[in-house]
Amino acid sequence: MFKTFNQDRTYLENKYHKTSEPFDAFNPSIYHGYDYDAATGLNDDGIKQGLAELYGQIKDLPHPVSKAKAVEFVLDNTRIDVNEHDYFIGINSWNREIAAVTISKWHEDVYSNFIPEVNAIFKDHQKAFTFDTWADYDHSVPDWNTILDLGFTGILSRARDYRKKHEQNAPLTPKQAAYFDAIEIEYTAIIRFVDRLYRYSLTKTHKKAQKISECLLQLRDGAPRNIYEAMQLMYIYFMICECIEHLRVRSIGNGLDSTLYKFYKNDIENGVFTKEEIGEFLAYFMMQFSAIGNYWGHPFYMAGTGEHGESLVNDLSYLILDVYKEIGIYNPKIQVKINYNTPTAFTDKIIDMIRNGRSSFVFMCEPGMTKAMMSLGVTYNEARTCDVKGCYEFAVRANEVSTAPLYINLLKSVNLAINNGVDTFTGKELGIKTGEHFDDFDSFYQAYLAQLSHILDISTALVDKVERYLEYINPTPMFSAVSRHSLEHMQDAYAFGSKYNNTIILHVGFASAVDSLMAVKQFVFDEQLVSFDELKTVLAQNWSGYERLRAKILNSPHKFGNNDPETDMYAAALSHWLCMKENQRPNARGGIYKAAMHSALHFRRMGAVTTATPDGRLSGEEMSKNISPVMGMDKNGITALLHSVAAVDPSLYTEDFCVDVMLHPSAVSGNDGLAAMTALLRTYMKNDGISIHFNIFDADTLRDAQLHPERYQNLQVRVCGWNVLWNNMSRDEQDMYIRRADAIR
Amino acid sequence: MTTAIISDIKRFSVHDGDGIRTTVFLKGCPLNCVWCHNPEGISPKPQLAYYKDKCLSCGECADICSAHSLSGGLHLYDREKCIGCGRCEKICLGNALKFYGRRTDVDSLVTLLLEDKDFYDNSGGGVTVSGGEPLMQADFCTELLKKLKENAIHTAVDTCGCVSKEAFVKVIPYTDIFLFDVKAISEEVHLYCTGLSNRIILENLRYIDRLGIQTEIRIPYVPDYNSGEIEKIGMFLSKLNCITKVKVLPYHNFAGSKYQSLGMKNRLPEKLPSDEDITSAVNILISYGLNAQG
Repeated sequence: MFKTFNQDRTYLENKYHKTSEPFDAFNPSIYHGYDYDAATGLNDDGIKQGLAELYGQIKDLPHPVSKAKAVEFVLDNTRIDVNEHDYFIGINSWNREIAAVTISKWHEDVYSNFIPEVNAIFKDHQKAFTFDTWADYDHSVPDWNTILDLGFTGILSRARDYRKKHEQNAPLTPKQAAYFDAIEIEYTAIIRFVDRLYRYSLTKTHKKAQKISECLLQLRDGAPRNIYEAMQLMYIYFMICECIEHLRVRSIGNGLDSTLYKFYKNDIENGVFTKEEIGEFLAYFMMQFSAIGNYWGHPFYMAGTGEHGESLVNDLSYLILDVYKEIGIYNPKIQVKINYNTPTAFTDKIIDMIRNGRSSFVFMCEPGMTKAMMSLGVTYNEARTCDVKGCYEFAVRANEVSTAPLYINLLKSVNLAINNGVDTFTGKELGIKTGEHFDDFDSFYQAYLAQLSHILDISTALVDKVERYLEYINPTPMFSAVSRHSLEHMQDAYAFGSKYNNTIILHVGFASAVDSLMAVKQFVFDEQLVSFDELKTVLAQNWSGYERLRAKILNSPHKFGNNDPETDMYAAALSHWLCMKENQRPNARGGIYKAAMHSALHFRRMGAVTTATPDGRLSGEEMSKNISPVMGMDKNGITALLHSVAAVDPSLYTEDFCVDVMLHPSAVSGNDGLAAMTALLRTYMKNDGISIHFNIFDADTLRDAQLHPERYQNLQVRVCGWNVLWNNMSRDEQDMYIRRADAIR
Repeated sequence: MTTAIISDIKRFSVHDGDGIRTTVFLKGCPLNCVWCHNPEGISPKPQLAYYKDKCLSCGECADICSAHSLSGGLHLYDREKCIGCGRCEKICLGNALKFYGRRTDVDSLVTLLLEDKDFYDNSGGGVTVSGGEPLMQADFCTELLKKLKENAIHTAVDTCGCVSKEAFVKVIPYTDIFLFDVKAISEEVHLYCTGLSNRIILENLRYIDRLGIQTEIRIPYVPDYNSGEIEKIGMFLSKLNCITKVKVLPYHNFAGSKYQSLGMKNRLPEKLPSDEDITSAVNILISYGLNAQG
């Protein structure tokens, strides 16, 4: 399929970290790949030193300008590379070094001086992880069509035009001037940086050099003309914004296939590139993200429906899949927007890849997303053509920033209710007093909601305080310049300047909480197998001496994910209660809060500091993730699981909603299996489901993989919105997957 | 209300007819195939399977039933004493007991089967009655299938064919498709493999074919047992008119632990078919003009 990619692959895999050495996914940028030419600029130490020296000059400037000057310094001075093994450029200093002289200091400033009470309150809660919060800069998706239409020069001249227009209306305030100054400095620096890359490429004589030079020259002076230049531009934007400018860019393209299609079509029609050549560029392009290796997987999305109701699946969509399949990577991860008009041939191709072990896809159903988004007051087209970002989140394309600063531990409040507001992990009173005893389940349930309400109130109050300072801590000129709305209003696009400036609340441990409530109902109140006081003892002893009771609870039919009417009723009620409290609650940025049924890595982090819970969970064990059942508790099969999931109205989740399903390979083999998976997807979509991803496993294979890791080097599992290699998981984490696989036999 | 003894219900069944289906396994089968992978379906009586490796020796079952006891901390199960009530399955903490043989009435079964209607509708699926041999409980099947048709559910009957013609006559009006097993054409081979003659089976197959009922043929392919029959099966089927599909099902021996858990003698053949065996069988059937698949 490829001419040079296979020979260059080793270089690409090692571009950002040495594959032969242990890789810390949480600290990926400590290594910079192959040796860069020292004559091209400074290494990280030099950059750090230079920034430290620059600090005196920039520390008193308005933050956007100060940050822009720091970015400018890095771009002007970092070592660069135009490598014989790569069509894409290399930046040596990609470790967000500017933070030390800008963002980290401003962050400290805000938390220590402006809102010290936030830290004080949060300190105890963070230890107990009743909730978690931080200032989030991880979820930008720029308007890629604008970027590709204008190029860096066009973006800059458009910003200058806006400035002129505003200045004609009224003199700019100092803040507004700083906003435009920062854009001017950054984009001028970016163009200078591209010029530096171009000039360096002229010194190269390798086979790729000429093509790269032509590309860089074009990008220095204008917008891309072909698909290779378009991808190079996207890559440069991504690297600068995410790895220097400190704002994660968490989708590549507004639908990679549709964003690049006009270039693809033009290139093929005019003989600029052949389909094979484009496939090869795509391979190099995708490998960049694999090489960076962020643990959460770098996302791009595909397919979906256009403004006029047309399916956006095109030849390029298929080509992207072919290349992704051929090179066999799982990072970037791919979100696939589907609707009733999505060609079955396209979804079949993906389903076939999934059942052959390529689980780094998530399907996202547009009807459900549309319904959910429209409840917030956005238009039908805004909803249907939304961007997908991060793991499963959706947002109005080019016009919405929804930050993700708050994770709520839904399970912990069960223990707070049992212990009259005291957190049993830290021993601190983090909840409110809701009573030592309860006469019936309803009173207990009310106590649980009261604890949850209390946690939501204090946590959102903290988030509101922090989010006022989002642009103070980290202004985002690079991103802002791409947003028309931001330019019109002269406000930072990530903080206040987008059309929709929203904030999300992520639900962690939903099914664990529901199962715990049901266990209290059944075993304490309905069947009275254990008294409320005794339950406290049982949990305090982490079930030790109460193994039989625990086994009974684990075997109870009242577990979320089994289409058990009573359990599903409480799940729906709890979900409704949460969403009514969260959705539409005003945030500090002129926007609103949105509910998200998505737990990222917090199902493990929060589980680690949550003691034993009534659902039979042991102290420290992970809790359920997303809308998925507790691992191993969905015993009635996939159809029952999806009915339970549909019972929790997905449309209430205005930010995201995802279920993870596990199927046995035998259930999805052959043409029948393919058709069945397609039908599952369609039924889920018809029932307003939103995101769904599949793990196809049998327990015996997983057990064998535990015993013989060497035989399963490529076995990957979907964790929570991203994939990891089986061999990189801890034994405990592996055991959880085996537990669930056992239940689906 | 007509009732039946069922051994199991499998939701999201994708290999028993088209689409996503729920398969109801009825208990009791006239045949005794050496390769049977559903041994719990052979006896018409309730049976308890005991999976020793899952047993926690907790004694919950011993507390409620004298068929179970704990001796020196180990669980003992006396199959002779079992009256087939199934209570122990519900109480078992380790999921070591699996009860095959619950008595079920049509209405409660239909309620359960309707739960997945949206999955049937979106996949062209429905409900399959299987076994054992479902038509040994033909009255129940008739009533069940009738109710399903009233709810616009696609119905399939998975049969070995070894029942009276009257049983077929009863269910035919409510059956969209038969999944009909053909194991051998030579009577002596059939007798050797299943314990019974195939005369009535082939007569029934000819009968439903004459009526024009959609039929999918399923041939378990077991090396050294019926593997020599493929040509003959092809020839026989080529003379029928209403065969929509012929599926060659490769024999597997996954059912070994089931025999053990049921206290039944495991007679499963050891030799498994190769992929080439199946391809070659499929090709032979195709050469007879049949829509054959592996």
